[in-house]
Amino acid sequence: MDSLVAAGLLVSTLLLFKIKKMSDAVGIIAFQSALLALAAAIMGIKTGLTHLLLAAGLTVAVKTLMIPAILYYTIRKTDARQAVERTSSPHVSLLLATLLLVAGYYVAAHLELPGTEHGQSYLTTSIMLIFLGTFTMIEHKKAIMQAIGLIVIENGLFLVTQSVSYGMPLVVELGIFFDLLVSAAVIAVLSFRIHSTFDSLNTDKMQNLKG
Amino acid sequence: MASIIALYAIPFLTGLLAGLSKKTQWCEKLQAVGALLTLLTAGHIAVTVWTGQPVTAANDVFYIDALGAFNLFLIALVGFIASIYSVGYMRHELAEQIIGPRQLRFYYAFFHFFILTMLMVSTVNSLGLLWVGIELTTLVSALLVAFYGQSNALEAAWKYLIMGSVGIAFALLGIIFIYLSGMQTLGQQSPALNWTELTQVAAVLNAEWVKLGFIFILVGFGTKAGLAPMHFWLPDAHSQAPSPISAVLSGVLLNTALYGVFRVYAIANVTLAGQASHYLVIFGLLSMAITVPFIMVQHDLKRMLAYSSVEHMGIITLGVGIGGPLGLYGAFLHMFNHSMAKSLLFFTAGSICQHYRSKQMHRISGILKVMPATGAIFLLAAVAITGAPPFNIFLSEITIMMAGFQSGRPWLTVAFVALIVLIFAGMMFYVVKMVFGEAPARVEKMTLDGWSAAALIIPLALVVVCGWVIPPILDSTLYQVSGVLQGAGR
Repeated sequence: MDSLVAAGLLVSTLLLFKIKKMSDAVGIIAFQSALLALAAAIMGIKTGLTHLLLAAGLTVAVKTLMIPAILYYTIRKTDARQAVERTSSPHVSLLLATLLLVAGYYVAAHLELPGTEHGQSYLTTSIMLIFLGTFTMIEHKKAIMQAIGLIVIENGLFLVTQSVSYGMPLVVELGIFFDLLVSAAVIAVLSFRIHSTFDSLNTDKMQNLKG
Repeated sequence: MASIIALYAIPFLTGLLAGLSKKTQWCEKLQAVGALLTLLTAGHIAVTVWTGQPVTAANDVFYIDALGAFNLFLIALVGFIASIYSVGYMRHELAEQIIGPRQLRFYYAFFHFFILTMLMVSTVNSLGLLWVGIELTTLVSALLVAFYGQSNALEAAWKYLIMGSVGIAFALLGIIFIYLSGMQTLGQQSPALNWTELTQVAAVLNAEWVKLGFIFILVGFGTKAGLAPMHFWLPDAHSQAPSPISAVLSGVLLNTALYGVFRVYAIANVTLAGQASHYLVIFGLLSMAITVPFIMVQHDLKRMLAYSSVEHMGIITLGVGIGGPLGLYGAFLHMFNHSMAKSLLFFTAGSICQHYRSKQMHRISGILKVMPATGAIFLLAAVAITGAPPFNIFLSEITIMMAGFQSGRPWLTVAFVALIVLIFAGMMFYVVKMVFGEAPARVEKMTLDGWSAAALIIPLALVVVCGWVIPPILDSTLYQVSGVLQGAGR
């Protein structure tokens, strides 16, 4: 079951480099977050730690419902065409992403982090998610897609804490969820303004400030 | 506990009420009173801490020691001064129809929320909550950077948001490593992210993970603090934000990010037996060096001041890295001095740019003739910030220099002094050209308005007085703050 969830996480993230429409990326984020919630819930049931179940519930509420809703609304209202724009072609970017997976596997193997009993199997996946999230931010040109890369990184970090320590203390966990929600709102506000000023969400147009 | 609740409630309510109030007149007075109350509350907490014991409350969620109180007080002080200055500045923007009443309310509301997030960072015990606070400062202030809404402001805000968030994501990874090492030593169910707990066992933590964690945190929070080479967002954000916000960003937001670095450093340097200080020295010196060419070829006044902030964050980091009682004392004295001198500089520069309708330095000349009071204070602040005697920055830079020689690193110290001299030359070249000479015909003579004068007087007094003598209360505070980083609190 664990490896099925892990595989689902990786495949869905890889699809970020294959899609053509931005709204698909939002769907991927929602799906990915649902899998994260599932992983946390499985760990919660196996260990009997209630705060893991709470974290799973919050993940569903915040990351699979609220944040994708905010992002989807923003995309619908700003960009009618919704086309993604990448620095390299889809095949090249998929290839680079696969290479990053290998690198992530290598790094995870050499970190020698102490995994928990039921979380160990996610450690490699979580490092790969952080790598792929960073790559999404570099590879994609649209502002919203950079935000999606950020969320993938956050998801990876969430999975790291789950796998090495069954999550952070509850207060901190709540704070991080609150931060994520606020950042989605700020990203939406700024995207609206960027779109109305530049008539596009392409960040390549924002290269005026130098020196 | 009551005072901590007040410290959170006052800025929150002030922001809320300022955002909801219908009359502009009401809104600006209310927010000034709110900022004063915040300052009084912060002052009360700070004095309680400095004259007695660290304050803990709510089952160890809140913990304020001398270092926290120092940062807290500085935030409230600069926040108060900036809120007074905002009144005059924003009235001008309103009169010129650059902004409308709605944006004004938005500005004051988010100004106080921004102050609140920084206050939160300095009052929490858990490193996790400290992270949450620093991330919130980015989110709230990004909206303030984007305030003017034109293309450049949006570009700066977006860059700031993305760079800040990615940097801080790395810091979270670092905090996870620290948490792991804490749990290994303290046990599974313990509050292993609390600074007070971690600092007790710092000597026996797993050195490998603490080292990894510290490097991630230094890079992550260092991005926020504008340390080179992660400083790229900083000149953009500082130059595009409204000037009172630039002053708060430069004067205390950067300090707050450094505060996060130093909290972890206090643990890591014990665990790593002094090895962690090398990283601070390297990043500090690099931040100073990288600003030299950018200041020399600068065209934009506010960008030049922003690069100067990168330099000064480098000096503070270097001072802490050199360490010892003298180095730490000098570094925190420098933190205080820089906050005062830089806010003074951003306030006067803001008025100058408003009046000349340009941030381009070649379009600004003869400030002394057109705006005598503002021009004189601007010149004084610029002389102070570049470290010339007899002003406050000179004293703290000399202290750090002496600490450098004392610690047996003459070449490092020589490089430090040489960089300061280079930056002095670079900045003075432009400042002298702007302050003296003939003013362009299009610019009319102008006198200082009451609100701006009131705002300038406090930092001006401190810049001048602290150049001659360090007030006893500041002196004893700085000893206690250095004590926190030397492990005297244990």
